[in-house]
Amino acid sequence: MEGMTYLAIAYLGMILGLGIWTWTVVTRSRNLQLRIKALEDSLGLGEFESDIITSEVNESDKK
Amino acid sequence: MRVRHGEVLLASGFAGIMITLFLALKWAPSVSIDAFASPAAQRIFYWHVPSAWAAFIAFSILFLGSALWVFKRSAFGWRLHVAGSEASLACGLMAVWSGCVWGAAEWGTPWDWTDVRLNTFGLLTLLALFLVLGRQSQPDGVETRDTFSTFGLYGFVLVPITYIATRIWQIRHPGPVIGGGEESSLSSDMGLVLLLGAISFTILIAGHMVMSARITEYEQRLERLQNKVDGRI
Repeated sequence: MEGMTYLAIAYLGMILGLGIWTWTVVTRSRNLQLRIKALEDSLGLGEFESDIITSEVNESDKK
Repeated sequence: MRVRHGEVLLASGFAGIMITLFLALKWAPSVSIDAFASPAAQRIFYWHVPSAWAAFIAFSILFLGSALWVFKRSAFGWRLHVAGSEASLACGLMAVWSGCVWGAAEWGTPWDWTDVRLNTFGLLTLLALFLVLGRQSQPDGVETRDTFSTFGLYGFVLVPITYIATRIWQIRHPGPVIGGGEESSLSSDMGLVLLLGAISFTILIAGHMVMSARITEYEQRLERLQNKVDGRI
């Protein structure tokens, strides 16, 4: 293969990988945000302490 | 209007790496045809080196997050661990992929099992893969976090070994292009494009880590809400 072919394969692979990774992260963030908002609205709840595991550890440490 | 730092960093990083790519293909000088078997493929270097640089930053964040979780039980530390492992995997895979393609063009083989730099960097990327896949397959809990954070903490030892590998054992991977003495001289135009690439990749993975930390926070909030709904709290 020519050097330019290798160059194209390398860059296209990286662009594709970066694109998929970024798209996945952005859509996952938006979907989670919508699910949380829907749940909080339907239950009439405010925001909770975000990390359940840390709060459990802190509670057991207090005991 | 609330500023979305993650998205702004992502967009800026993408713009930067695309400008880097354009300059690498159209503006950066060619290398000598005597020094390289495949001079055209050498232009892979303008994304390969910055992605490896970004991977080292991500591994450092992974180490910091793991240490914060293990020693301080910090929720922020766990979010750093998750963000660092995902960014390490993505940047590590990019560096490995581009390196393999360049190796195939230049050396005639994509991998050399005797080269220390290639193998320690490959191991680091596999560690990131293990952390990302392992975390997704396990229920979140103290033991899970302790296990993966321990791997993140001790796995970091491979980073300095990888960094100095080409300075001590130069087998197949080229020596350092910056900070490696007289042999590492780089033309100013090449250095400029490489610098732009390194800054752009740093901004891009910073954006990804902000987004990843936000997703982890959302997942934890969702879990707490679901527990509330289930009446478990």
